[in-house]
Amino acid sequence: MEILDPTHEGGAPAFVPAQRLATLEGTTVAILSNGKKGTKAFFDAFASELVEHHGVAEVVRLTKANYSAPAEPGLLGRAERWQALVAGVGD
Amino acid sequence: MALNSKRHAVDDLAAAQEFCHSRGWTDGLPIVPPTAEAVAACLDWALLPPDHLVGVEPVRERAITAEKLAVNAVMAGCLPMHFPVAVAAFTAMLAEPFLLHGPTASTGGAAILIVVNGPVRQELAMNAGFNALAASDRASTAIGRAIRLMLCNLLDARPGEVDRSTLGHPGKFSYCLAEDEENSPWLSLAEEHGVPAEISAVTVMAAGAPRQIMNEWTSDPAEILDTFAAEIRANMRHYSIWPGNYAIVVPPQLRAHFHAAGWSKADLRNCLFEKARVRRSDWAECGKGAVVGKEGDREYAALPDPDHLLVIAAGGPAGGFGAVIPPWYGNKSAAVTVAIGACLDCGP
Repeated sequence: MEILDPTHEGGAPAFVPAQRLATLEGTTVAILSNGKKGTKAFFDAFASELVEHHGVAEVVRLTKANYSAPAEPGLLGRAERWQALVAGVGD
Repeated sequence: MALNSKRHAVDDLAAAQEFCHSRGWTDGLPIVPPTAEAVAACLDWALLPPDHLVGVEPVRERAITAEKLAVNAVMAGCLPMHFPVAVAAFTAMLAEPFLLHGPTASTGGAAILIVVNGPVRQELAMNAGFNALAASDRASTAIGRAIRLMLCNLLDARPGEVDRSTLGHPGKFSYCLAEDEENSPWLSLAEEHGVPAEISAVTVMAAGAPRQIMNEWTSDPAEILDTFAAEIRANMRHYSIWPGNYAIVVPPQLRAHFHAAGWSKADLRNCLFEKARVRRSDWAECGKGAVVGKEGDREYAALPDPDHLLVIAAGGPAGGFGAVIPPWYGNKSAAVTVAIGACLDCGP
């Protein structure tokens, strides 16, 4: 007997991973939160960690309007000024 | 018919079961082996080519093809004649207002409620009477199960993977019912959403578990709706206060009282819109005093407007029962109605 595979076989959308940063020293890092209230303390602590222990010059905090939907098109408009973006998903 | 899915050789029926279970492709119940012949029969019945693009799930950018839906429909036990209903349901779920990723991934544990209207109910021998909300007939059970397997296998909505439900509810096995149009003078749910009576349609809603009510001690429509409203308020107090789509299922015994009094579905909606409200301070009575804050007198309506209430005629003939089906989480996901055979993104 032969059966067909029921799973998605289309592969992931095409994209090229960004180059890894050699250092975080002096960089601007954005944190895109999914917007759940419970995540605030965690991302606050994460932002402090980046600045105090990894030399990040600036942390940009962003929050999606809807935690179940993709980020609004305008939200990442200044992305070219950041050296890294963290997609922060929490509950 | 040229099918594109990867093929797996298995020794026999029992081996097919274990092959699928071991890969996380099932809901734990036995499946029907999705052979090429069975899958092609579904596609033939629906007049869909295998590579027909049913839609794209926007968060994960997954293209959903008719062939993959058919593979999962066969596994769930669908006959070819059931398949167009499942395709219409998935089409509705991919509509932007439904926000499919939310209810399938959320800790809130919603399932997809599917309401079927129009002539297809009788063609498929769907039973809108006894036990309407659970295993009422072959088509309802298989179609509802097909949706769950499609979510698991095409969007990885398995427990602990994309499905992060804390508890979930039994509707995740199958949550499909037909409306009892023959025994009701009311407009059907689909007609209320603009689909002509002679056209079959499905409505999907991201839904919590049904909450059953009973009131056999009045024939006054307003009093009956007091009971429904109390159950909605209980959901707002105990689960989520945010407004959204609610559905109520009204069986014949209670429907008779509404019909005798000349109440339409719109009358029920308007009445419940006014009655189904809580104040933030109500939370203090159920252990949530910590979040009442300074807005204790603020009033919250269960429905953003009366049209957010789906009124469904279904259920067995005896008993003053009814059900309230709450939304997944407020109005983040909106109920969507699609005619069977319709294509949402096709050009003229």
